[in-house]
Amino acid sequence: MSRLRVLVVGAGTMGTVHSHAYSRLADAELVGVVDPFNFNPRLATALNVPQYRDMDDVTPSKYDVLDVCVPSRWHLPYVLQAAQLKKSVFCEKPLAIDLHDAQAMIDAVQAHQIRMSVGHCVRFFPEYVHAKSLVENGALGDIAVVRTFRGGGFPSAWNDWYASRDLSGGTLVDLMIHDFDYLRWVLGPVSRVYAKTIRGEMNRLDFSLASVRFASGAIAHMEGTWAHQQFGTRFEFAGSRGILTHDSYQEQALNINRSSESGVAIPQSLDVDSPYDLEIAHFIEALHKDLPFRVTPDDAYQALRVALAAQASALTGKSISLAEDPSSQGGEIR
Amino acid sequence: MRIGLLSSAHMHVQAYVQGLQLFPEVELVGLYDDNSERGRAFAEKAHLPWHADLDALLSQVDATIICSENAKHRFYVEQSAAAGLSVLCEKPLATTLDDALFMLEAMKSAGVPLYLALPVRFTPGFSPLLDAVRQGHVGRVLAMVGTNHGYLPPGWFLDSAQAGGGAVMDHTPHVVDLMRLIAHSEVEEVFAEMDSRVHQAGIDDCGILTLTFQNGAFATLDPSWSRTSGFPTPVDVTLEVVGTKGVIDFDAFRSHLDLYQSRDPNHQHVGFGESMDARLIGAFISSLTDKSPHPLLARGIDGLRALEVALAAYRSHKSQQSVPIEHLL
Repeated sequence: MSRLRVLVVGAGTMGTVHSHAYSRLADAELVGVVDPFNFNPRLATALNVPQYRDMDDVTPSKYDVLDVCVPSRWHLPYVLQAAQLKKSVFCEKPLAIDLHDAQAMIDAVQAHQIRMSVGHCVRFFPEYVHAKSLVENGALGDIAVVRTFRGGGFPSAWNDWYASRDLSGGTLVDLMIHDFDYLRWVLGPVSRVYAKTIRGEMNRLDFSLASVRFASGAIAHMEGTWAHQQFGTRFEFAGSRGILTHDSYQEQALNINRSSESGVAIPQSLDVDSPYDLEIAHFIEALHKDLPFRVTPDDAYQALRVALAAQASALTGKSISLAEDPSSQGGEIR
Repeated sequence: MRIGLLSSAHMHVQAYVQGLQLFPEVELVGLYDDNSERGRAFAEKAHLPWHADLDALLSQVDATIICSENAKHRFYVEQSAAAGLSVLCEKPLATTLDDALFMLEAMKSAGVPLYLALPVRFTPGFSPLLDAVRQGHVGRVLAMVGTNHGYLPPGWFLDSAQAGGGAVMDHTPHVVDLMRLIAHSEVEEVFAEMDSRVHQAGIDDCGILTLTFQNGAFATLDPSWSRTSGFPTPVDVTLEVVGTKGVIDFDAFRSHLDLYQSRDPNHQHVGFGESMDARLIGAFISSLTDKSPHPLLARGIDGLRALEVALAAYRSHKSQQSVPIEHLL
């Protein structure tokens, strides 16, 4: 089998994670890292691949796949260019931080008939995957109330871009989109959302709560925080026949406590396999074998739509109805 | 100090009987219940004198503890006020604002205090939590996340006419009360999702309330009766406080022993130390003896504020939109 040649753009937190994941795969080859601001030259060195300043510095025939890990606001131009070049794309989440950009990407994917998946990595965390199967197998009966928690300290990254709502979207869009996507995966379409968030500038702190109603009738309470210390995730599914809980703070088989480190927390799974390795391996395998992606562009669009509705609710103080539109027209038709 | 128990409708009546026994200065004169069959049975089981005549009981006591169905709180408070007796009333204060206002006015006119049974204020973690917030240890309070989960209660709790509502009516008072103290502000807006999805009981059994306080802080409360059998804790009260300088994590019943018995497949959390109910009763008694309210004892007005929130939640549910609260009194 020929190896898919991958170019990663962005050398920050997720660019690093993805680059390492590709370099471990037998059926993919990392051919370079584009680091527009020369933020992290050690990445290319460590993986023994060339580092580029610009995507245009790489001859298009040298790669098959573009993996986009620049700050969320700037995903669009890279995805558009990759689509024009007929490359397959893996775009980090959130797909964009406004629907206009997201739709433009989906339109380009369709116009140029390329394949794209999006980094909703929670769908590869084994504890979340197993919870989904328990819910679907009826272990809990009808789901009544779901609670999710995700967060930790305020992320530190290149140029402090997380601190700009205009670049990251804050906790509702950057962080809680994981749970919006995951709960849509488990429970189906969202019908209504009401949310609260810290107003004004994010002074190294952001915190949001969302109350979500699903078309199935299930109710979800979601918490996203950059006001805590240590990163963690929790969920609780309460149904008519039982309760399922998860708390990463309580369930680590191993805890190593070191003097404080800063950066962007990379959530780790409680299982042996890194969910990021699983995610990237699935992406490459689906490309090789022409199989459906676990995360489609439409999934990413719909999750963003819920997150932005939550943000609009938080700004206006009103609940927002989301009659789930048929799609962004960006579901993969395969 | 002579105390009369009014009604045994509420399961907490058991905790009052046990708690009162810890105070030798208190004489539990007896029980009256408008449901005489229920009252006689409970009095016999608890070894209490049964009183078939309410007025006769009221004439022999200094204070009453009301454990009736929620909708009958008004009747028992009215009777107590007319007899000039101090009252400790189960929560929620009432099922309508009219009843609540009537009760507060009746007690005020009679010149006797009306206290509300909100015992979570007396759990070991709460006073230190309040002190930490008041001393600014977490900066300005921005948000709170609360839960008060429970199991499906029996009987009249599932009858809206007697209970005033389901899980939202039953499980809003405790946490809203704690949040008001922490935020040092009143709730000005409520949004609520609620439904009947856990049990087939024909009344709201789950939901999420989102509250906005007058000072800008926001909060959520999960009041669901979602603890199914087999879960180690039938009831919880948890509260997270997010401030500009830190986060506080409070779980009223986290201090516990884990009990595993071979004859019972379910593992249980077992509490230890003095119960919150005993501390509540102690505060009620000392407030009467000292003729000045214990600082942690909730007053009638606190019950009114919590009731305003619960009733607003039902209004929000109907309109599917957030609703403002206009505070009475």
